[in-house]
Amino acid sequence: MSAEDFNLPRQTHEIFAVMARGNFISSNGSRDGMNRLYDVINNPENFDRLQAYFNVIRFNIERGNNYFYFSKLGEPNSELEKKLERFERYIDIIDLLASMDNKITIGSRFRPTEIAEECNANVRLKQKLQKIPLYRSETLHNKVREICELMSRDSFLELEDEKTESYKVLDSYTYLLDIINAVAIYEDTGSSGDSTQGLIYN
Amino acid sequence: MENCRILNRIVEINIANVKYADIELSGNTCFVGTNNFGKTSLQRAILFFYSANSRGLGISASQKSFEEHYFRYENSYLVYEIATEEQNFMVMVYRHNKIVFRFIDAPFNPDFFFNSNDEAMKIKDIISGIEKRGIYISNQIDTFERYRNIIYGTETDKQLSKFHLLKGNEKYQNIPKSITNVFLSSKSSIDSRFIKDFIANSLTTESSSIRLEQVERQLRQFNEKYTDIETYLKKESQQLIELIDKKYDQVHMLKGAQMEMADKLGSSLRFAESQNEAIREAAKKKEEELTEISNAYEELKFNIENRQNNLREEIGYYDRSIREANKKLKEYKDKNIDEAVEKHAEREKLMVELNIARREYESLTSNVANIELKFSSLIEQLRNDKTAFINRINSKIGETFNHYNELQLLQKNEFSKKESELKQKREEATEAVNAEVTARQIEFNSLKSDEKVIRSTRHYENEIKSLESELNELRGVSYKNKSERAIKQNMVHTIQREWEALELKLKNSLSNRVNQTNNEIQKVKLEITEIENKLNVQNDAFYGYLEKNVKNWHQNIGKVVNEKLLFRTDLTPEMKEGATETLYGISLNLEPVELVSKSIEEYQFEKNEKLAQIRDLEDALNQFQTANTEEKMLAADKFGKQLGELKEDVKVLSYSLELADKREKKLADELEDWKIRAGKEVEESLSGNRQRLNIIEEELAILNKKKNAVLSDFNTQLERLKSYNDERLSELKEKQETEIADLEVEKKNRVKEFEKKEEDLTSEKENNFKSKGVDAKQLKEVEGRLKELQDALQEIEQFSQIISDYQKDKREIFDKLPDFIQKKEEFVNSNNALSAEVEEASRKFNMKRIELNKEKRAFDEELIAFNNGINFYSNNFRETPVYTKFADIIERAEPKRTNHNIMDLCTQLLKNDSHFNEEYGAFQRYVNEFAGKFRIDNHFNFVIRNDASQGEYERFAQNLRSFINENKIDLSIAETATQIGLVTDSIATKVKELSGQKDKIQHIIGLIAEDFKKAEFEESKLIEFIKIRLEESDNKVYRLLKRIQEFREENGMVYNEGLFNTDFATGMKREISGKAVKLLEQLRSAIKEQEQEEIRLQDLFELKFNIKEGMNETGWTHRIDSIGSTGTDILVKAIIYITLLHVFIKESSHRSSKDFKVHCIIDEVGQISAHYLRELLRFAKNRNIMMINGLPNKSGLESHYKYTYQFRREDNNNVRIFPSIVTEVEA
Repeated sequence: MSAEDFNLPRQTHEIFAVMARGNFISSNGSRDGMNRLYDVINNPENFDRLQAYFNVIRFNIERGNNYFYFSKLGEPNSELEKKLERFERYIDIIDLLASMDNKITIGSRFRPTEIAEECNANVRLKQKLQKIPLYRSETLHNKVREICELMSRDSFLELEDEKTESYKVLDSYTYLLDIINAVAIYEDTGSSGDSTQGLIYN
Repeated sequence: MENCRILNRIVEINIANVKYADIELSGNTCFVGTNNFGKTSLQRAILFFYSANSRGLGISASQKSFEEHYFRYENSYLVYEIATEEQNFMVMVYRHNKIVFRFIDAPFNPDFFFNSNDEAMKIKDIISGIEKRGIYISNQIDTFERYRNIIYGTETDKQLSKFHLLKGNEKYQNIPKSITNVFLSSKSSIDSRFIKDFIANSLTTESSSIRLEQVERQLRQFNEKYTDIETYLKKESQQLIELIDKKYDQVHMLKGAQMEMADKLGSSLRFAESQNEAIREAAKKKEEELTEISNAYEELKFNIENRQNNLREEIGYYDRSIREANKKLKEYKDKNIDEAVEKHAEREKLMVELNIARREYESLTSNVANIELKFSSLIEQLRNDKTAFINRINSKIGETFNHYNELQLLQKNEFSKKESELKQKREEATEAVNAEVTARQIEFNSLKSDEKVIRSTRHYENEIKSLESELNELRGVSYKNKSERAIKQNMVHTIQREWEALELKLKNSLSNRVNQTNNEIQKVKLEITEIENKLNVQNDAFYGYLEKNVKNWHQNIGKVVNEKLLFRTDLTPEMKEGATETLYGISLNLEPVELVSKSIEEYQFEKNEKLAQIRDLEDALNQFQTANTEEKMLAADKFGKQLGELKEDVKVLSYSLELADKREKKLADELEDWKIRAGKEVEESLSGNRQRLNIIEEELAILNKKKNAVLSDFNTQLERLKSYNDERLSELKEKQETEIADLEVEKKNRVKEFEKKEEDLTSEKENNFKSKGVDAKQLKEVEGRLKELQDALQEIEQFSQIISDYQKDKREIFDKLPDFIQKKEEFVNSNNALSAEVEEASRKFNMKRIELNKEKRAFDEELIAFNNGINFYSNNFRETPVYTKFADIIERAEPKRTNHNIMDLCTQLLKNDSHFNEEYGAFQRYVNEFAGKFRIDNHFNFVIRNDASQGEYERFAQNLRSFINENKIDLSIAETATQIGLVTDSIATKVKELSGQKDKIQHIIGLIAEDFKKAEFEESKLIEFIKIRLEESDNKVYRLLKRIQEFREENGMVYNEGLFNTDFATGMKREISGKAVKLLEQLRSAIKEQEQEEIRLQDLFELKFNIKEGMNETGWTHRIDSIGSTGTDILVKAIIYITLLHVFIKESSHRSSKDFKVHCIIDEVGQISAHYLRELLRFAKNRNIMMINGLPNKSGLESHYKYTYQFRREDNNNVRIFPSIVTEVEA
């Protein structure tokens, strides 16, 4: 039984291969024909068919602002917790990127060196960068590169030009911002009496 | 002397390591020598004779070039001797910078080249030597092409045309190619691909392949442009464009506003700094002026008040006098003073009457004087007693009366004293209150006049006036701008219509042209098909029969036969003896008749011409389309620019109108604000006034109340005093009256007694008179009259005192009363005039004071505002980034008064900057998002760096706006549409061109198959058969290319119009375009996937062999790794090569040229068996082909060749080539 039998687009396997890895398909991504895949999913007829098709294997296509991703139907809480843990490190990263003079927004193009240079020139940013726990930490540049690679792997960025090491911010970056915006910080005023802070995910 | 043309010998002089070698080649030749001794070099030198291409000799890039390796010395020569039917000639090859050729009309002679010392001569000497001998030597032939033309007999120069090896036709290039290909093929296995390559390479030139790299580049460029346009046209992108445009306007406006404000701030600051001292001076001056007018006012007021006090005293005096006079007058009136005065006026008359009566009485009583005297004295005595008594009583009464009167007077005095005291006190009390009331009243009046002044004052007059004039000016400009915008909008519409009309015209003309060209092409295609049909059937038709059997038939039959008949296959022509040269037995002179029939070449030529015609038509269409697109682009450029400029103007006007609207609104608000402020100012001033007025009113009310209370208190006291006084007086009067009444009673009783006694005496007298005769009656009457008169006089005497008092008062007071009233009135009037004067002065003073105060306050407030502003600016603004941003504007501003204070401007700038930053952030986000949707190197140049400056972002938005205004997307679409047309057209042309050669392949394969059939394999029984056939190519890229070509032919060139066309009416075209795009995309992926550099002729078909050797049959296959032994393989390979060579030579040489032989150079045939070699040589010989082979060593095989040469390396590393003495077994 192939995708054609369900009158599914011929890129179905490709779409699945990308999204089942937990990656996003953004409209402004150009590598590996990502924008084409976006257009395919965005076509209302295709969307309904794909949704029905993937729902069978308990995947649900979620639509963001110009991007798509999979969520799992009936995902256990333990998985969700793991996801949240994985997400935690992005809080510091987004904080850093949002604090730059030249703000990183959807569609921005930048090179890790630029960020590293700005961090080097600004103590506050430098501290923020140093605070982010990563493996390679010899130089600021390497750290930024590692961040970019991580975000690229998670399909929030796209390495647009390998020669100049130029990255582009994809539409899926909104997902991170949305999650960050959905986080409310509360102060624990419970009977324990300590003033530890916690997070609520709305 | 050969009886055919052949390369007879090759002579090497100083070539590579060979000093001299003379090798004969007129038969099968074999070179024997171990590796690296120069066998291959020599074979290359032979090959060079045929190919004359120094690059196609199989020399690897790492090796020295042909020129470098062979022609090391100045006197290096390669000499080729060609045997002909007549005299042999030779070709000399040497290096004169580059390799050049000379043809010499003589056989090779070493003397031409060597001097007496056996040294090779220089070229000059050689040429002069040959020329001296009278031998023809050609000019230097500089190009390989020309050399080949000469050798292959296509040279037109008559002097050179004889130096040919064979007479080739237009395809003669295949001969050197084939010879080269055979030499270069070194694989031992038989691979159809190689054969394919061989055939294809022989048929094609280097440029006849389809360079996939180029196609891929074109496709990539198209695809990139297509993607860019697609991205641009997406809904999200369009939304973003709108947002960018809107935000840019906002940001622009905000920035403009900020700059304007910064300019105002700068102006205000400069103004404040420059005006500080001046304002202080002005404020001081106002204060002095105020003191001056206050003093003047106080002095005037003091003088007037003094005068008023005097007047008031006068008024009080006259008022009192008038009041007292009136009071006295009233008292007199109460006492009936008028009656009393009247009666008193009759007193003199009564006195005269009394004297008359007395004289009458005396005359009557003169007769009885004694009696009368006696009685008179008695009566007189009695009367005297009575009078004494009355007088005594009267005096007593008088005393009592006086006593009580005195008491009353005392009482009255006491009363009047107390009353005046009280009144005095009352006056004093009321005077204090009145003074206070007057003061309040004055203040009240002054406040009232202040109010009038305030109401009439126009606050912020300058500001309001300036705003009003600015508003009027602004409205004027807006009106002008509106009309200008309307004009420009009309112009935009006109130009748009003009543009649309032109585009429609261009579109129609293109469509007409496309239709026309397609029709013409269709027509030519039909003609081609007709020719092709003729060509296809010609072999089996009458035409073929004539070609094969009738020499020069074109000159006779060709002139009279119908062309249709020539290509009929059902005529079964048959040659009849004796009927030649006649038409059904009739002889005709056909000399003057025009030739009707055409040769195959002519048909071929005609077909090619038709094809060329199609190509020309297509080229013309392409050119037309390009010109059309260019025209379109020019129009777009022209109209787009105009439109863009106009739209920009309209936008600028709209923007300025919008700004003007906002400004108008703002100014109107400001004006309203100023008016409200002015109103408020009035209200504030009034409210102060009103409060004071209310207080004063209240105070006045209290004072009036107090005054009333004091008055009523005093009045009560006065009332009380008066009633006490009245009581006391009435008591005294009562006592007086009682005592007087008692005395009056006593007096009356005693008067009665006296009157009785008098009556008695009188009656006695009368009796006596009667007795004496006196008229008693008359006497009595006189006496009665006397008494009446005396009583009347007595009564008058009673009023004499009061009348005298009255007359005195009248003289002194009452008669002056009108004067008093008049004077009082005069004084009151004077006083009123003074009050009015004071009031007027107060009003004027207050007005001036208020005005000055206001001016001073304004100066003070301005000064305070300036200082506060400067402080605020220094403390809260100077250090902020906003200052840095606008420092230039602020610092460069001209000092100017503005309607805004510095603090407000600073605050507003800071506030606006934060708003600006928010808006700008959004603007940047939209730009980034929009640019991020495109490839980094998109052809619209929608790229923005992450660290781009504000200017760059703004330029981006401006460019985007120009892009939209100039409708550049349409241009881009047109370009891309043209590009897809050109790409598909280019692909189609290339594919067609390449596919066109497929027929040739088919033809060649047919010939090869035929040649294989003719081979006498059966004799040797070695190879039973070699079969070859063509199949469709399975090359994916080629298939796609082919599909594109078919698609192009099917749909013509119009489909590109549908690219991005959203018009429903042309939906079909869009579908076609979609297919085209899809095909191109597939081709691009296939090229990427296949990694092939080019599509050559050999990729158009598959070649399959079927070989049977003994019992082994390979079946139809591409590649035959091993048919039998290695020797068999080499044999088969050689047979195939020879066949190919034969076919190509046959195909490429002129029909008339048959007497020539060429060489087939195949190196390394060492493993072939003698039997096979013999077979091979014979196979070649039958096809006029001489073999040149290499052998590693002597093995007996060399005995089968006519010439055998050995190679030996000498001590000096030179190679010597010498003939081996062998006997040719069979050739």
